[in-house]
Amino acid sequence: MTTVDQPSDSTSMPAGPGLDPTALPPERSRGRAASASRLAVGAIAALVLLGLPLVLEAQRLVHPLHILIMICLYATLAQAWNILGGYAGQISLGNAVFFGVGAYTSTLLMTRIGLSPWLGILVGMFVAVLVSLAIGYPCFRLGGHYFAIATIAVGEIVQTLFINWREVGGASGIHLPLLPEAFVNFQFHSSKLPYYYIALAMAAIAFGCAFLVERSRLGYYFRAIKGDPLAARSLGVKITRYKLYAIAISAALTAMAGTLYAQYILVIDPESVLPLSLSVLICLVAVLGGIGSIWGPLLGALVLIPLSEGTRVYLAQSGGGGRAIDLMVYGALIVLVAVFQPGGLVAISRRFRGRG
Amino acid sequence: MPLLEVRDLTMRFGGLVANDSVSLHVDADEIVGLIGPNGAGKTTLFSCISGTLRATNGQVLLEGQDVVGQTPEEICWRGIARTFQIVRTFREMTVLENVMVGALLRASGTSQARVDAEEVLELTGLAHKRHVLGAGLTIAERKRVELARALATRPKLLMLDEVMAGLNPRERQEAIDLVRTAHARGIAILMVEHVMEVIMPISDRVVVLTNGRKLLEGRPEAVSRNEEVIKAYLGERYRAVIAEPPAC
Ligand SMILES: Nc1ncnc2c1ncn2[C@@H]1O[C@H](COP(=O)(O)OP(=O)(O)OP(=O)(O)O)[C@@H](O)[C@H]1O
Ligand SMILES: [Mg+2]
Repeated sequence: MTTVDQPSDSTSMPAGPGLDPTALPPERSRGRAASASRLAVGAIAALVLLGLPLVLEAQRLVHPLHILIMICLYATLAQAWNILGGYAGQISLGNAVFFGVGAYTSTLLMTRIGLSPWLGILVGMFVAVLVSLAIGYPCFRLGGHYFAIATIAVGEIVQTLFINWREVGGASGIHLPLLPEAFVNFQFHSSKLPYYYIALAMAAIAFGCAFLVERSRLGYYFRAIKGDPLAARSLGVKITRYKLYAIAISAALTAMAGTLYAQYILVIDPESVLPLSLSVLICLVAVLGGIGSIWGPLLGALVLIPLSEGTRVYLAQSGGGGRAIDLMVYGALIVLVAVFQPGGLVAISRRFRGRG
Repeated sequence: MPLLEVRDLTMRFGGLVANDSVSLHVDADEIVGLIGPNGAGKTTLFSCISGTLRATNGQVLLEGQDVVGQTPEEICWRGIARTFQIVRTFREMTVLENVMVGALLRASGTSQARVDAEEVLELTGLAHKRHVLGAGLTIAERKRVELARALATRPKLLMLDEVMAGLNPRERQEAIDLVRTAHARGIAILMVEHVMEVIMPISDRVVVLTNGRKLLEGRPEAVSRNEEVIKAYLGERYRAVIAEPPAC
């Protein structure tokens, strides 16, 4: 978006008593102190994000590193969901479709024609965008909650389609062939560390996108559409077009994470990359964290993913079988958030910092 | 050629005829008042003109071009902006952001839109509220945001649906001044208002609607002296008010 620097009234106004320059420095220094402390927090966060995995690696703590990768993966997925559901207010319970499309596209391109997954990511994102437009165009005509319901239906249809699609492995899915460890192959066998940094980079990309969206025309229009679609239209907002932008961005980012998942787990099937439970979990992470705010998805992933992985491991060790337990935990959390703090964890942390 | 010309516009809701072959026009430099009792079809007419509803029959010509069937966003782009009788403020956006959504229609980007929106806030006396969320405003302030947003789209024609209802006399006077300011900037105005003391002095012409039909139109003095209008709408009470000629 172009930035047009127009002279504002204040620049052409003579400095009167209201603009006493001596009144400015305290304000400025306070602002400087705030931005300095913000910078410090940012630096520490960056150090932890980049350095902590090295420590875990040195200590051979593989499982915590796996959890960190999952946190980054879900932070990416939740942020992608947040752009569509949080900012634009279009609640999707079918984002697993884009995840699956990304995972399957890059995997098939690698197994069939030997294309590097790095190029496969781009193709997968492109295909996911096309799929999202095909879903969005008819479904956005349905107002309110009907959109959410329609995305559930579409998700179920796509999963069933893949289960019955023999050419892409059907219900048993695809095992990715083990390739030599190399960046171009997107496979690393001796350490999880490269996967972590790739997941972190993807999360950073998703956050960067949300940051740019928030500050651009898209962000204003998305929020207007969420707030009142009819009022938005009467102010000249082409709401169908902007909803399609939102779902396309969401789909592209989700598909990107799908490829990472495929290359990391090395096996994909409709039950792991296309289930409704994945769509729900993505939505839960974002809602728990706080929708429509840039930090919500990260907070949600930080809390929910260790919890989810923890219960999974615990259940596996104690004989397993109770997969529904983690869903019960999510359910309870959602009820708590909905009852006590609809703004999510972001709103709670704001309250602790005394910003209301 | 008038800026807006409505020709034989009919709007049916099932068996109910909300607008029955209504014709009216607004010239580029006019303020036209639209009055009529509750349920006369004033809001419906606004919705048909702005594209929120699709007229069953008839034409809406904007600068000679028929816009019936076009979307509200297209019609807004062509230069008609409206406010809603039941306000539709974006509750989770600040006053500034509400107005920026309107300003973005013709701005190259958000920084340009912010400059434009600030100017409108200044004009509408909302500048001190710029960072207040829509949800935290009084009804009078919301009505004003409604007007500011519409103004920010830089319309040729501004359609105001009871923006003065529920305002106290001081707020009402501010709103009247605001309408005059917008008009002075070359914006034509079509306004619905129940408060006769407001509509009569400000309008160049008044159109009276009852039961979906146009009863008559004319200069405010003529309309307010018309026996039929007084019977149908104004009531005996108003006779006293017009005894003194409206100051314009
Ligand atoms: N969407 C709708 N569906 C069915 N009937 C409607 C609809 N909108 C309005 N009506 C009916 O059309 C008639 C005209 O309504 P409208 O709101 O246009 O009147 P109005 O002149 O704006 O009244 P008021 O002064 O109370 O605002 C009323 O009888 C109303 O019940
Ligand atoms: Mg009305």
